[in-house]
Amino acid sequence: MRAGAIFLREARLAFAGGGGPAAPAAFFIASLTLVPLAIGQSPATLQAAGPGVICFAALLAVLQGAERLFGEDVVDGTLEAYGLSGLPLSVVAIAKVLGSVLATLWPLPLVGLGGGIAFGLPVEAAGMLALALAAAIPGLAFLVAIAAALSAGARRGGLVIALIAAPLAIPLMVFTASAGRAADIGNAAASANLLLTCAVSLFLTALSPFAISAALKARLE
Amino acid sequence: MTLPDYDPLPLTVSDLSLERGGIPLISGLSLRVEPGEALVLLGRNGVGKTTLLRALSGVLRPVSGDIRYGDTPAIKSAPAICAFLGHDNALKPDESPRQSLAFWAALSGRSADIPGAMASMGLKALADRPSRRLSQGQKRRAALARILVQNRPVWLLDEPAAPLDGEGREKLSATVTAHRVRGGLVIAATHQALDWPDARVQELTR
Repeated sequence: MRAGAIFLREARLAFAGGGGPAAPAAFFIASLTLVPLAIGQSPATLQAAGPGVICFAALLAVLQGAERLFGEDVVDGTLEAYGLSGLPLSVVAIAKVLGSVLATLWPLPLVGLGGGIAFGLPVEAAGMLALALAAAIPGLAFLVAIAAALSAGARRGGLVIALIAAPLAIPLMVFTASAGRAADIGNAAASANLLLTCAVSLFLTALSPFAISAALKARLE
Repeated sequence: MTLPDYDPLPLTVSDLSLERGGIPLISGLSLRVEPGEALVLLGRNGVGKTTLLRALSGVLRPVSGDIRYGDTPAIKSAPAICAFLGHDNALKPDESPRQSLAFWAALSGRSADIPGAMASMGLKALADRPSRRLSQGQKRRAALARILVQNRPVWLLDEPAAPLDGEGREKLSATVTAHRVRGGLVIAATHQALDWPDARVQELTR
């Protein structure tokens, strides 16, 4: 399986050069730790803000590794060689994104679970939030990858990535946080929001590879 | 390990015009390269050698004219038959030549002789050293070994010998000869002479 070779290499390089899952997880934990210091320690405030803040911090954690995803390939000539690998660039994109997501982002739902409990959510609500995060992360990773492909090789690419990805992330932010909030107040809308999160995430996962491929092709010419 | 011969595929370029960033570089170029031939593109900086190689690799669309491998236009056929060595070596700082070659061999999906490729570029002693600790010349050797394991009939090489020492150049020349014996063709852009036996030279001028 030729695309499998890219998947495995991406996962291996994430550990060799980037510390694997340590960086996004540490970033996520660090930003959650700062929240009570910034918004105050009242349990009611923390519990109400928890789901939203956790989703937002998860988005930041996904964004922090994005610049490397295609930027290095453009600069070191790897993208040029991928372009002549005979594989469609959309398949290259899927293999690359999945390889790096599975190697680096898997702890985020677990951190979200722990964070939810620490913010005072009931265990079921924290579990629902973690589940919604797990559903949202593939979609988030792919839409961030579109932004990364568009800005690959550009100076200060990280800033451009955040500016492109933020508006695209709105639906996932809304549904993921709502799933956690609804579960917190015992509202039946929780599972509906979880399903909507899954739907949006699947939609992004299915369509993003074509957008990424178009962006990379433009970069090659 | 001996690899089988390639299917013979001549390269035909007819009345080709190229531009880069709106600046016309090459106009009305026609040439033909037969299987087993090597063509060295000479010319001063900025004359369009790299642009021509990129067009031959099917990445860059010509303004006008036609590039074909056999009967198929390059845009369609090049990704399956070309191995391209650009200015950059496509090496990852944390990967050793051995890991990198195993990856490119698996990606190309053809049979490859990884130890043979390392031996022919003199990489045996460096096989497990991460490429961030290789010198420029050693990196170029690793990149050339990648071209070898991709096992494709058409080699497009951009300044292949620039950072190589005398021994590296000899190894490159021997490798190119072995590739041509198998019926492969080589097109190299360079601004300095390459001492490849009976290679054709095409001077590019503006």
